[in-house]
Amino acid sequence: MGWLNSKILTVILGIAVLLTFSVFVTSFTFNIKLPGNHQGYEPVQPVQYSHRLHAGELGIPCLHCHTAAERGGSAGIPAAAVCMNCHTIVTAPWVNVRAEDERASKEKRQPRRIISPELAKVYAAMGLNADFKPDSPKPTTSIEWVRVHSLPAYVRFNHSAHVSAGVECQTCHGAVETMERVRQVSDLSMGWCVNCHREANRSGINGRKVAASTDCIVCHH
Amino acid sequence: MTEEYGHINVASLPGMGRRSFLRLAGFSFAGAVLAGCQQGGVEKAIPHLVQPEESTPGSAVWYSTICAGCQAGCGILAKVRDGRPIKLEGNPGHPLSQGGMCAIGQASLLGLYDSLRLKAPLMKGAPSSWQELDRHVMAELDRIRRGKGAVRFLTGTVTSPATRAVIQRFLGSFADARHVEYDPMSCAAILDAHRLTHGARVLPRYHFAEASVITAFDADFLGNWISPVEFTKGYRAGRTPAGNPARFSFHAHFESRVSLTGSNADQRVCVSPDELQLCLEGMAAIIAERAGRTLGLSVRLPANLDNSVRRLADRLWNARGRGLVVCGVNTVRHQVLVNALNAMLDNYGGTVDIDTPSHQYAGNDAGVEDLLNELRRGSVEALFVSGANPVYDLPEGQALGEWMKKTPFVVSFSGEDDETAACARYVCPTPHFLEAWNDSEPVSGIVALAQPTIRSLRDSRQMIESLSVWSGDNAPALDLIRREWERTIRERHATSQTMDAFWNRTLADGYAVVRSASAPHHACDYDAVATVVTERGPTSVSIPPATGGVTASPGGPPPGFAGGRYTLLLHPSLTILDGRHGHNPWLHELPDPVTKIVWDNAASLSRKTAEALGVRHGDLIRIEANQKFLELPVHIQPGQHDAVVVVTLGYGRKGTDRFRDIGPEWLQSRPTVGSGETVGKNAALFGLIEAGCRTNRIDAARLIPTGGTHVLVTTQEYHSLREPNLFGGETGHRRPIVQETTLAAFANDPSAGSFHKEELDSLWPDDHKYAGHHWGMTIDLTACTGCSACVMACQAENNIPVVGKDEVRRNRELAWIRVDRYYDEARGEFSVSHQPMMCQHCGNAPCETVCPVLATVHSAEGLNQQIYNRCVGTRYCANNCPYKMRRFNWFEYRHGDEMQRMVLNPDVTVRERGVMEKCSFCIQRIQGAKIRAKREGRPLNDGDAQPACAQSCPARAIIFGDVNDPSSEISKTLSSPRHYRVLEELGVRPSVGYLTLVRNREEQAGEADHA
Repeated sequence: MGWLNSKILTVILGIAVLLTFSVFVTSFTFNIKLPGNHQGYEPVQPVQYSHRLHAGELGIPCLHCHTAAERGGSAGIPAAAVCMNCHTIVTAPWVNVRAEDERASKEKRQPRRIISPELAKVYAAMGLNADFKPDSPKPTTSIEWVRVHSLPAYVRFNHSAHVSAGVECQTCHGAVETMERVRQVSDLSMGWCVNCHREANRSGINGRKVAASTDCIVCHH
Repeated sequence: MTEEYGHINVASLPGMGRRSFLRLAGFSFAGAVLAGCQQGGVEKAIPHLVQPEESTPGSAVWYSTICAGCQAGCGILAKVRDGRPIKLEGNPGHPLSQGGMCAIGQASLLGLYDSLRLKAPLMKGAPSSWQELDRHVMAELDRIRRGKGAVRFLTGTVTSPATRAVIQRFLGSFADARHVEYDPMSCAAILDAHRLTHGARVLPRYHFAEASVITAFDADFLGNWISPVEFTKGYRAGRTPAGNPARFSFHAHFESRVSLTGSNADQRVCVSPDELQLCLEGMAAIIAERAGRTLGLSVRLPANLDNSVRRLADRLWNARGRGLVVCGVNTVRHQVLVNALNAMLDNYGGTVDIDTPSHQYAGNDAGVEDLLNELRRGSVEALFVSGANPVYDLPEGQALGEWMKKTPFVVSFSGEDDETAACARYVCPTPHFLEAWNDSEPVSGIVALAQPTIRSLRDSRQMIESLSVWSGDNAPALDLIRREWERTIRERHATSQTMDAFWNRTLADGYAVVRSASAPHHACDYDAVATVVTERGPTSVSIPPATGGVTASPGGPPPGFAGGRYTLLLHPSLTILDGRHGHNPWLHELPDPVTKIVWDNAASLSRKTAEALGVRHGDLIRIEANQKFLELPVHIQPGQHDAVVVVTLGYGRKGTDRFRDIGPEWLQSRPTVGSGETVGKNAALFGLIEAGCRTNRIDAARLIPTGGTHVLVTTQEYHSLREPNLFGGETGHRRPIVQETTLAAFANDPSAGSFHKEELDSLWPDDHKYAGHHWGMTIDLTACTGCSACVMACQAENNIPVVGKDEVRRNRELAWIRVDRYYDEARGEFSVSHQPMMCQHCGNAPCETVCPVLATVHSAEGLNQQIYNRCVGTRYCANNCPYKMRRFNWFEYRHGDEMQRMVLNPDVTVRERGVMEKCSFCIQRIQGAKIRAKREGRPLNDGDAQPACAQSCPARAIIFGDVNDPSSEISKTLSSPRHYRVLEELGVRPSVGYLTLVRNREEQAGEADHA
């Protein structure tokens, strides 16, 4: 190890420090994402569920399905049974259903039931038969959604605290009602959280005064 | 990297030298770093297909149920988070436990996730199926019914009316069948004595709250005697110096060892077991004289105790009807005298209640003795064992194991493959109590229901279900219990509710109060007492020399005892009881509240006796008694009588070498227990069943030092806040860590004993505003008994890992709260103080100023925050903490196996290697309470936010709340003249304060030396 004398080591270390520093500087200057920042993440989901259709076009409120966001820490992904509240009746987009109706009246026959391929996946997962009743020999399988918004293990975030304070879902999640596929809009970094808390303390939420803590331990415990 | 190379043995690859391997590894590492910049691994979120109605993901649901940590039957609430029970807390409404819960009960949760629980039924030691087992058992039972063979059903005390009925029904189908109940921690003598004196075999319910003079003869009622949580509640209620009305019971305690209860006594009288008997008899004789009764006793008191016994007798006599005499010695002779005393003092109907008696202990030692004889003779055809481990905990356990193997048909109902199950032909796995339906009537008139909090994790079946299947009924446990309630309990309830409504109400509340069904009894029969006293001896006890002490003679046993021998006293552990929790690592690592020993049992000797034998702490000593012997390490116990050697029961369970590697593995780690060895040693073999009662006192024990040593680990010495002699010295000032006073002094001046040292000049500006909440805590040292329930509550709530014996030895245990135990022998009198100590959340915290990375900072609500993800592990903060309350993660601790990790609280980060941690005032609970209040649109009320320690405390010694709220309970304690803060002269302004320890003593307390 003769070549590795102290002078060379110092130079190498110096370069390493400089490099690290420049990486940080450039990333902040040119808005390059640092490791761990998943802003813009838009994974393909096992079922092509459209928030644009449900929340946007049909105007279903977020909390209609994500009920836990009001009551608990986690907003939760609705159970498939929640879908069945409507989708035992609505089985396909109405355009497809009307097309079949028209075709049936032209061909002078009873219209057939149209089932969209995406909904078929949900029915299959729940093991439902043609009458949308649980069919015991049919196996049920979980729907493995891909998690979009994810926080590190040392961060606690409570949905109900924010919902009851009057924070709109869109404040953090962006305009989900316009998204065909959900995308992470915010970077979910600590600075972003704390800025919002400070802003809320300064100007309140919807004109209401709030106490949004900026203590570390509120999220890190 | 590991995925690529994990399975390749580098050395075996041809042509792959060390350099080329490193080059390749370096390349791969660079690749891993680059890969890390991309999107991380895909995380799945898998919801239920059908969400269970009552559960919300990420929120807890609470179910009321019954604790089965011991037989006391405390009402508890189980916190179930996403389908997993993760914490047990006392049920505030329950009439017995009133929201308190002991350490053992809280730790019993971990047993649910024990990976060694039986997975399937066993037949002749081999795994089997229920169908197979049922077929064999039913065929055998038919054979026994036809042959009219003797059937015996051995259980612990059954407090469940339904279980009792099912057993009775099952045994009814046999010609010769008997149900035998026994308790390893036997109270049989109390019941037997009541049969003699009051005509009913009952265990009284003791009301400590009503008592103004409590005299206990070796009854550890705050420790583990009968119903410790209920008794602690009562004891606390009777001792409120500042309460309204102010009252303060006087508690005298006669004992040879140092029990938890004795350590709390106002007057602790250290006597040998013989002297204890003389004192009890002397007191009975004195009171009998006053009451004009004849018990056939004369007053024969040891000279040195004469005065104190007479004075105590005076006090008891003056407090007739409000006194209480209890005795933990399990011999009928002692207990009839106690009954006579309580009767002559008019305590029956007041503090001693046999109209609504306790059912918590119903064991019959004589019945067990008969059963053992039958088994020895081989006259038992079928033996069922349920909820008991007699092969381990009976004195003749080993022989019993052999007899069981010879008995034709033996069934063991057990959750684990314990000592008894190993000797049984058929082993039926039973569920953990959190997986089962159950009911209980711990005290006549208080009935309770237990409900499953999780689906059974194992292929288990409740005992009553098995019996139901074998009698052809096939009813599930729920039906069996409901049927019994419809039949017998419902009619005792004063309501017109339908059965459904009554059942649902009881299930939700966890308990119901119904009409009590008491056995017919009569007033105390003093002739019976006199008969027992004369029949069972004029006592052979001779009055020892007046000094009661021992002169040391090195090399040999001290003189003054018959044959130079000792009396061996056995007592159940304060942590693992009689061994039923011997597989619970939380309890093994919970320091014994008095000795502070972890992971071991020891032979406790007084200092003098140890000196006389020439042994020191940790030296091995051979105890020979009763033709049996055991080698145990010596523990030197101040305050213990010189004539006794005290050994804790419950240790030496089979299979505890599983804890060998429970601590972290590193170069210098030592195993917690040697391979093939057990945690501690089983001392139950010394026990005796004498005159129909099991005794834990064995005379004529020999002690022989072996010359060997054992690593015996205690936690007290290194965290004690004693000032080093270098600074304080013998003449220098003492740190008033525990400030105490006497009731007499307190009556004159409520601030007696609490003195405030002048705060040193501060460099700190007063820049903490605390505009919103300001959290604070006050600990009432008068209320605290040192039971350590708070320590276990913290362990369960805050994901504290078990570190193993070797790490504790290295002062590296991770408990966020400890109970400091100080001995005071300054004035020739021995007294003990207990002081819970946790992060004091200082206003001017010394830890905060030295952290170079701002990982520990002050919150706007007065909390001293520790931020794990910022911490780099310099440990400066721990070095600067005057309270020694910061803990460092030297390793990545395992938190048990995959199964046991299910107990972790998802609201608290599992700390990684290299970070500091400490008490957070249960910030997750504060946040939870704040969010709940916000959701309900109301302000946070006092008491909404309770840390786990304060919630569990059976004595309500820990008061937590918002100092900024003038009406809060905590604010009231701050203005108490008893309030002080530990080391307040340092100027660190702790948020935790203490209330002085008031003892009901007459003499003025001097400045105590807490060492």
